[in-house]
Amino acid sequence: MDQILLTINMVSQGFANNILVKPEFFIGILVFIGYMLLGKPIYEAFGGFIKAAVGMMIWNVGSGGLVTTFRPILSGLNDRFALHAAVIDPYFGLNAASEAIKSIGMSLSWTMISLMVGFAWNILLVLFRKQTKIRTLFLTGHIMIQQATTCTWLVFFAIPALRNIQGAMWIGILVGTYWAVFSNLTVEPTQKLTDNSGFAVGHQQMGWVWLASKLAPKFGSPKHTVENVKFPRWLTMFNDNVIATGTLMLVFFGVIMSILGEPYLRGIDKAGFPPNLAFATYILSKSLLFAVYLFILISGVRMFVAELTESFRGISEKILPGSLPAVDCAATYGFSSPNTVLFGFVFGCLGQFLAIAGLFIFKIPILIITGFVPVFFDNATTAVFANKFGGIRAAGILAFCTGMIQVAGGAFAAWYFELYTYGGWHGNIDWDTIWPLIGVIMKNFAMPGMILVIVAMLMIPQIQYRNSSDKENYFKIEAD
Amino acid sequence: MLKVVAACGNGMGSSQIIKMKIDKIFKKLNMPVEIHHMSVGEAKAAASGYDVVFCSIAFVDIFSVKNNRTKVIGLKNLLSETEIETKIRENLTVSDEGRD
Repeated sequence: MDQILLTINMVSQGFANNILVKPEFFIGILVFIGYMLLGKPIYEAFGGFIKAAVGMMIWNVGSGGLVTTFRPILSGLNDRFALHAAVIDPYFGLNAASEAIKSIGMSLSWTMISLMVGFAWNILLVLFRKQTKIRTLFLTGHIMIQQATTCTWLVFFAIPALRNIQGAMWIGILVGTYWAVFSNLTVEPTQKLTDNSGFAVGHQQMGWVWLASKLAPKFGSPKHTVENVKFPRWLTMFNDNVIATGTLMLVFFGVIMSILGEPYLRGIDKAGFPPNLAFATYILSKSLLFAVYLFILISGVRMFVAELTESFRGISEKILPGSLPAVDCAATYGFSSPNTVLFGFVFGCLGQFLAIAGLFIFKIPILIITGFVPVFFDNATTAVFANKFGGIRAAGILAFCTGMIQVAGGAFAAWYFELYTYGGWHGNIDWDTIWPLIGVIMKNFAMPGMILVIVAMLMIPQIQYRNSSDKENYFKIEAD
Repeated sequence: MLKVVAACGNGMGSSQIIKMKIDKIFKKLNMPVEIHHMSVGEAKAAASGYDVVFCSIAFVDIFSVKNNRTKVIGLKNLLSETEIETKIRENLTVSDEGRD
């Protein structure tokens, strides 16, 4: 008996010391198990392990690169102007949250456990759909990684007692409830937009999709749509994320570095700024380095997410036939004119820029730097839904407001959750509104606050069902 | 073997969905394929090396492939297997032998 206990102890110790501290192997094993459960041949499961592990290791390379590029500029801003800067972008946010998690001596494997628990919890909520009124399963893998990581930091930050396995379970339930409840909230507007195409939005602006479709009719009429607006051809280049990120980083960091000044940067970044290098060259290469490391980070995430999504989808199709998939917001773009996407981008940008100017005017010590993903995807999605329910006026006004709130909420969150130290915040709109609120509640009320948040979220689909005009068909939506 | 690429804005969310859906349809049609997924920006550069590019109709105009090989197929509903199958039949030669 003692022998058995001793063996179990040794195995779990070995697991904790070698697998849990190495998230790349942890995720690889998860993918491997997923593939085996799906009955795939062992060589495919092995391939999945390799790609997931290598993907995560590539992510680490990008992440490390971002940190080293950032450090002199961040410390320069802090040093000279007592300013903290944060890029509001889910990847910069992912980077900041994972660095913060590592800084308190925790491993990213906890994030992966939360992710699994969240996914399982979402499945459970849909299995009991008659009681929970939830019909949607969140399947957007890269978003789940970003959100589980940020959520992990919020809980670890707000409730230090939960920095353990029990905490990882709670985080999973918290984030899984958000996935299930808020994607379920997008069902009706998405079905209307897409002529009942049988999917919902599972992304970063689910609360906003619902709100925009409710508010849009008050701002305009769906008769006057964005369809006929012509945009200059050059704007379409922002459809390419490398060009868009590179340009945004060049504009923002170019300005910041010019303000910091050449002598100062030469002083603090001796290795990166040798005497024979011109200041303009330094700015250009430094700014583009952000895009480079971001691209590396995204490639890594993409690689392991592809594996994870494959096994997630397989598992969900087996357990949950007939549930509604909640997918990337870009899936809705085909149901609107391509103009609408750019329209949202332009108005959201204007809103963000105005709000950033506001930060200066009111002397807020947080500097927000526009990130590509929120400014493009959140505002495009807002515009697509607003255009459907309230036409061109609603699309313009609501995207503009979204941009302003992204900056204000992002500045608050980066400061409150102390992620400005790592230069980023998960600046998508739900993470500038709903999640800061959840974080503040958890910080002030600890465990009871967290339970309150979960229960309150679970009430939403009950209200949604009660207000549904077509209760008979509430559960009958199915994808083809 | 057909070389296919699924493209979307970031090369992660929707292109992954399209990839799994088209994989299913090509299997059903008994056509051997090799499918990759990437962002529209990458796909724009790589398109000429593929036989078929799938993306949202919002992105079709970005592609300007000047060969006779590559077909760019724009999808309205990325999740509709019916739409994918119809568009494959319109654009590619599908042999109906061996179908069940």
